[in-house]
Amino acid sequence: MASVLFRGIQTRPFLLYPSALLSRKNGVLFCTTKCSQSQTATQENQQTQMKVSPRTHTKKVEKILHDYEAIIGIETHVQLDTLTKAFCSCAYLYGSQPNTNVCPICMGLPGTLPVLNSKVIEFAVKVGLALNCNLSMNSKFDRKQYFYPDLPKGYQISQFDIPIATGGFIELDLPTEYGGGHRKFGITRVHMEEDAGKLLHSGNGSYSQVDLNRAGVPLLEIVSEPDIRSGLEAAEYAAEIQRLVRYLGVSNGNMQEGSLRCDVNVSVRPIGQLEYGTKVEIKNMNSFSAMNRAIDFEISRQVDLYSKGEDNQIIQETRLWEEGAQRTVTMRKKEGLADYRYFPEPDLPEVVLSEEYVDNIRASLLELPEVKRRRYERMGLSMQDVLFLTNDMNVADFFDATIERGAEVKMAANWIMSDIAAYLNNEKLSINEIKLTPQELAELISSIKGGTISGKIGKEILFELISNGGTVKALIEEKDLVQIVDPAEIEKMVDKVLIENPKQLQQYRGGKTKLQGFFAGQVMKLSKGKANPGLLNKILLEKLNAKG
Amino acid sequence: MSTRASFVMGVSSLLQSRCLWSSQWRARNYSVPSALLPPDLPLLAETARISLIPKEAEEFAPKIRQVIDWFGQLQAVDLQSIEPALRADTEGDNLRNDVPETFENREAMLAAVPSFEEPYIKVPKVLNKE
Repeated sequence: MASVLFRGIQTRPFLLYPSALLSRKNGVLFCTTKCSQSQTATQENQQTQMKVSPRTHTKKVEKILHDYEAIIGIETHVQLDTLTKAFCSCAYLYGSQPNTNVCPICMGLPGTLPVLNSKVIEFAVKVGLALNCNLSMNSKFDRKQYFYPDLPKGYQISQFDIPIATGGFIELDLPTEYGGGHRKFGITRVHMEEDAGKLLHSGNGSYSQVDLNRAGVPLLEIVSEPDIRSGLEAAEYAAEIQRLVRYLGVSNGNMQEGSLRCDVNVSVRPIGQLEYGTKVEIKNMNSFSAMNRAIDFEISRQVDLYSKGEDNQIIQETRLWEEGAQRTVTMRKKEGLADYRYFPEPDLPEVVLSEEYVDNIRASLLELPEVKRRRYERMGLSMQDVLFLTNDMNVADFFDATIERGAEVKMAANWIMSDIAAYLNNEKLSINEIKLTPQELAELISSIKGGTISGKIGKEILFELISNGGTVKALIEEKDLVQIVDPAEIEKMVDKVLIENPKQLQQYRGGKTKLQGFFAGQVMKLSKGKANPGLLNKILLEKLNAKG
Repeated sequence: MSTRASFVMGVSSLLQSRCLWSSQWRARNYSVPSALLPPDLPLLAETARISLIPKEAEEFAPKIRQVIDWFGQLQAVDLQSIEPALRADTEGDNLRNDVPETFENREAMLAAVPSFEEPYIKVPKVLNKE
């Protein structure tokens, strides 16, 4: 069994800091086929923190931070994984040639009318239920009007005052490396809307370019209550939203692809003050760890101004996170609030949900991350193991299937988190793509537990099973791997080794007791690795100390 | 949609925005009729991207005021015991199955784009959404 469990996806250039990876005794994370780099927020954080100076705050600021609290709210846009767009039958394929997934409706040409994709409602209800919201059995669409080159119609079809879901909450567990802790954050609302196209600014600056492939793609906007208090909590909130939408199968939740986008609102206030401070919006965070760092930076910036009595310099504005400089900068000042002139979308009927429809969806929901975490906890797994196993639904399913077949819980967890995870990481595979089945993993575990094979042999078989499949029983037979537990047989081998190595035997008897390892290794070699280690050492020790 | 029509839509949405804050959402309260304030016409024209010279703004202001007041007669109706309707229609839903279809005449659409630089639509550089 591997004694060093390591963490980190080796696909990014963070290999420059192997010491960081080896120093942490945690399991390796891996992901489902669709997402190329899924990590928890903290994993990303650990890797990037090696790049940034370890102390993000001066002692002075740290002291001041204790007198203030940060109020953070997050708006998340999730791109839904439907086959077609929200209001037309265009397919959406990420990475397509620009302006190829388009039609008159999503290009906003005159005379076209939107027709809602039924899957969008289904996904919205799934998310609303998973976030413990109240569903609006009747809701409507509204037009949010503004002019921008990537918005073909001059308005975005969204939901303004009657969203499909309101008043929910999400629960999560903070990673153990950061002190752990359980959190519950409120969800203000969830609503359906359409995405805009993509606007690219040309190099020389005189014009821009628009790609409308993404225009009309369905989005769910999830707005949190301002319950979040730190960059870490924010990053974990976003990671949990990602986990949730992947579990539900409504989105692949890739921040890199833009299918998960977070905008953050940060304000601070002296502890004890009732009024909220001025709210600042932060954009352009492309990863969970960027969110963490951006928010912590912004909190420090605002607190610093407060402490100097210059809090009037904190204005309601949008700031951009600069990844290179690791700071937020002014993007534009919000001159009053935008007037979107909302009114009900006349071209779309009401969205009506029936009790039956909602009940059917509720019944179809699989076990969600929070419920799974609590169940694994009750099984006796440590929080670290729990967080690891539940991060990717496919891993959790594999684990469940393995213990269903009788495997011991802790052993199953260890095999998955160490050897199997390491293989997946190296080969960049997901657990669904390996040839090892939960059945065989369970078989392997019971074979080791029952003493048929040794743990070491088990690891070798595992590798074979993962890459080539097959069954444990067949491999044991084929390669003659059954452990030798007959004392007489082991005795014979020990005798042989001692006879063949008189020099070392003499040295041992002369005081070099460390040579026991040498003899053990020789017996192992002779037995082709099959000798039971415990028995081997017992007999060896007897023989070594007996004569002379 | 014609610019005039969108202007009218703008006015009617302004009516709404008087009752509901345009940047935050709130549950509706129909029990108390609100005083209808005249719109800030130059601002409205700006957000609707309709160019009005000051003379036109002066001309239109009273006319728009009249339109709003005309609609405002509805405020006299007692809505205390009436369940608010979300929308003014009674037809059921109109949903589509999630089945992809390729639009056949993409070339014609792209050919109609005023300024097209393969494969992108070329637009003036706009950085601010305001």
